[in-house]
Amino acid sequence: MVENIVIGIGLTAFAGALASVAGAAEDVESDIGSQGDPNSQVQLAPQMGYIHRIFNKAVSGEPPAYGLWVALGAGLAAAFLQVNINPILALALGCAIATLVQGIYATTAYLGRIASLAKFGQPVYIDILKSMTTVTMAHAFIAIFTAVTMCYLMNAALGHPFPLALLGLVWGIALGAAGSATGNPFYGKERQYQNQKFGAGVPVAASGNIVRYAEAGERNSLDNGWFTAKLGGPASGVCFGLIVFLELWRTVLFESFWAGWGAIFVGLILILIFTFIDRYAEVWARETFGPYAKPEGAAK
Amino acid sequence: MTVTPKPTGGVGMDPVANALSIILMIAIIGAAWILFGWNTLVFKALVAVILGGALVGFGVHFVPVGGAPAAMGQAPGIATGVAMLAAGAGLAGLFGGAFAVPLGLLTSVVAGGIGGALMMAITCLFVTLIYTYGMGIPSASGKVKVDPITGDTQAEYKSQGTEGHGLPFSSFAGGVIGGFLGGFGGTLIYYALLQVYEAKLPTLLSASASAVAPVAVSLAGIFAIGMFLVNAVLAAYNITGTTEGFHDPKFARFPRAIFASLAASAVCGIVAILVAAL
Amino acid sequence: MTVKIEVKEGGTPHNTIMWAGLLASLVCLYLGAGLNLAFNAYTFSFFGGLAAVCAIVWGSNTIKTLCSYGIGTGVPSTGYTSFGAGVIAMLLASRVSWYLAPIVLVIVAAIIGLILGYLANNVIMMKIPVLIKSTVELVMVGALVLMGLALMTTSSYSLLSMVSTQTSLLGLPVAGHAGSFIGIAIIAVAFILGMIAVQHPFNATLGPSWQQDRMLMLAAEVGFLTMIPVAFMSIAYLSPLAVIVSIVVSVGGWFYTYNQFLCLSKRDAAAWLDAKPIREPEGH
Repeated sequence: MVENIVIGIGLTAFAGALASVAGAAEDVESDIGSQGDPNSQVQLAPQMGYIHRIFNKAVSGEPPAYGLWVALGAGLAAAFLQVNINPILALALGCAIATLVQGIYATTAYLGRIASLAKFGQPVYIDILKSMTTVTMAHAFIAIFTAVTMCYLMNAALGHPFPLALLGLVWGIALGAAGSATGNPFYGKERQYQNQKFGAGVPVAASGNIVRYAEAGERNSLDNGWFTAKLGGPASGVCFGLIVFLELWRTVLFESFWAGWGAIFVGLILILIFTFIDRYAEVWARETFGPYAKPEGAAK
Repeated sequence: MTVTPKPTGGVGMDPVANALSIILMIAIIGAAWILFGWNTLVFKALVAVILGGALVGFGVHFVPVGGAPAAMGQAPGIATGVAMLAAGAGLAGLFGGAFAVPLGLLTSVVAGGIGGALMMAITCLFVTLIYTYGMGIPSASGKVKVDPITGDTQAEYKSQGTEGHGLPFSSFAGGVIGGFLGGFGGTLIYYALLQVYEAKLPTLLSASASAVAPVAVSLAGIFAIGMFLVNAVLAAYNITGTTEGFHDPKFARFPRAIFASLAASAVCGIVAILVAAL
Repeated sequence: MTVKIEVKEGGTPHNTIMWAGLLASLVCLYLGAGLNLAFNAYTFSFFGGLAAVCAIVWGSNTIKTLCSYGIGTGVPSTGYTSFGAGVIAMLLASRVSWYLAPIVLVIVAAIIGLILGYLANNVIMMKIPVLIKSTVELVMVGALVLMGLALMTTSSYSLLSMVSTQTSLLGLPVAGHAGSFIGIAIIAVAFILGMIAVQHPFNATLGPSWQQDRMLMLAAEVGFLTMIPVAFMSIAYLSPLAVIVSIVVSVGGWFYTYNQFLCLSKRDAAAWLDAKPIREPEGH
C-alpha cells in the first residue's frame, strides 16, 4: 500500500516534470512560428507598410494544433503498440511522424499567408522556411514526445481509463491552452512591441508597427525564440507542469479519503491558495506601478 | 470587396426561435420517454447529457478571453481562443472526472468540475504573474469602472490607447467558475454516455462487459469532447469571441446560449445514445 | 485591430464544388467498401482517404464562404462544430448496412447541421445569410471525412469493424475489442486530424491576395497529408499490402499537390526571395 503510494507519487512527479518540459518547448515553438494570437500582428504589419522577416505559421490556435500533434503522436504510438513494437520505439516513432506532419503544416501556413499578402508587397523569404521550420520542428518534437510519454505513463502506469490517443487529445488541447494563455502576452507585447513603452499596453494606434530590426541586422524568429525562452517559455512550462502535477497528485494521494471527496477537498484548497497568490500579485502591481496619468480618451 | 464587419450579436432575443428550440428539446425528450420509458437508463442519460451541455454553454460565458488584442495588452482577458481555452479546462476536468467514475456520479462530476477549476486557476494565475512580473502591467478592466468583487477602481490603471489589460480579480474568479462548470458539464455528459454504452454494448456486440469496456470509454470520451466543442462554439458565437467574464455586459446574453445549448445537446445527445441503444 | 478578411469573386462557383465534393466523396466511399467486400481484401481501403480528400476540398470552400462574413471567433471554430457533430452522425450511420451507410450519414448530418445552423443563426442571432447552409455542409463534411478515415484504417465503415480487431501484421489474429479503431481511440486522432485539415486551407491562405485555386490545391495537399499518418495507423488493422498501397497513394498524392501548391504560391507571391533583406516600401 505504502509502496504503491510512493510509486504513484514518483510517477506523478515524473509526469509533472515531463509536462514542464512540454509546456516550455510548446511556447517557444509557437513563438518562433508566431502562432496563436500574436500572429495577428505579424499578419497586420505588411498591411501597415512594415515588411518583415518573421516566420508566420498560422496553423490554427495553439490548443487545437497541439491537440493534433500530441494526439497524432499518441495515436501512432498506440497503433504501433498494437503490432507489438517496443513501447519506447513506438513512442519515438509516433512522435517523429507527428513532427513531420507539423513541419509540413508549418511550411504551407507560411507560404499561404505570405502569398496572400502580395497586395502589400510582402515577399516570401524562402530562407525563413529553410532555417526556421527545422527549429520549430525540433521544439515541437520535444513538446510532443514529452507530452505523449506523460500520457503513456498516465495510461499504463497510473491506470487512467482513457486510451492513449484520447489522453493525447485531452492533454494536447490543455497544453496548447496553458501555453498560449501564459506565453502569448509575453511574446505579443514584450517582444513584438519592444519599441513601445514598458509597463503599459500597446496603444491600438501602434498596431502593426512590430519590431523588425535586431541588435545587428534584421530580426528573425530565432531571435524571438531566444527572447521568449527566457521567461514566456519557462513560465508556460511551470504552468502546465503544475496543472498536470497537481491534478495527478491530489488524485493519487487523496482519492482514498472520504470516498473520493478528499481529492476534491484538496483541489478546493489549492484553488483558494492560487486565488490568494493572484490577488496578492494584482494588489502588488497596483501599488508598485501606481495609477497611470489620467487616461483621457483611453476608452473608446 | 471588403465585407461587412464582425457581427455585433444583437442584444435582443428572437422569441419564436427560442420557443422553437425549447419545443425541439421537449419533443426529443418526449420521444425518448415514449420509446424507452421515463425510468430507464437511456432517458436519464439523455436528460443528463442535455443538462451537461447547457452547463458547458453557460460556463463558457465566464471564461475571460481577450483574443488577439489581449496578447498585446490592448484588451483584458486571456490571450487565446475562447472555445479552445474552455475546452482545455473542460477536458482537463474530464480527465479527473473519468478517473473518479468508479466512485459514483456525484463524486465524479464534482471531481471533474474541480479539475477544470484548478486548471483555470493555475492558468489565470500565470497570466497575472506574467503581466505583473514579466511586463510590469497592472490589471485593468475596460468594461466596468469598479471591480464587482474587490471594489478596486479600474479606469486609472488602464494605459493609454488600450481597452484595459491583464486579469482583474473578477475575471480570475470568472475563469475559475467557468472551468468548474465546463469540467462539471463535460464529465456529466461523459458519465451519462458511459453508463449507456456499458449497459448496451455487451448485447450489441455479444461480448462480455469487460471486453467492451475500452470501446465504451472511448466512445463516451470522444462524444463528450465532440458535444463539448459544439456547445463551446455556440457559446463563443454568442459572445462574439471575447469576454471579460461575468461582469462583462455581454454576459447578459447568456440565456440565448442556454436555449441553443439545450436544443443542440438534445439533438446530439439522442443521436449519440441511439448509436448504442437502437 | 484585426486583419480584415476580404472576399474575392470569381473562380469556380461554390455550388459546383459542393456537389462535386459530395458526389466524389460518396463514390470513393462506395468504391472502397464495395471493392474490399467484392474481393474480400483490404487493398482498396485507400479510397476512404480519397473520400476524405474530396470532402476536405469541399469543406475548405464552405469555410471560405462562411468566414467571408466574419464570424468573430476565428476560422478554426467552424471546424470544431463540424467535427463535434460529424462524429456523432458518422457513428449512427455506421450502424446500418454498408450500401446504406453513406446515404444515412449524409441525411443524419444534414438534419443535425440544419438544427445547429438554425440555433446559431436565429437563437444566438448571428444573422449570417449563409450560416445555416454552411453548417449543414460542414457537419456533412466532418462526417464524411471521419467515415473515409475509418474506412481507410479498418477497411470498412461499419460499427462492427470499428470496434473489433481483425488481424495483426504478424498474422496472429487478435480477438477482442480493446485494440480496435474505437477501442484505442484512433477515432480521436481521425477527429482532430480532420478538424485541423478542414479549417487549415482557408486559415492559411486568407488575405487580400487570396486565390481560390491556391486554396483548393492546399486543401488537397492537406487531405493527402492527413492520409499519410492514417495509413501508418492502419498497420494495426490491415494486411501489409494494403498498408503499402495506402502509403504509396497518400505520399504520391501529397508530393504532387505539395509541389503544385509551391508553384501556385510562387505565382501569387509578391516576390520569391532567398536570404534577401527587407524591402522597405515607398514612403517608409
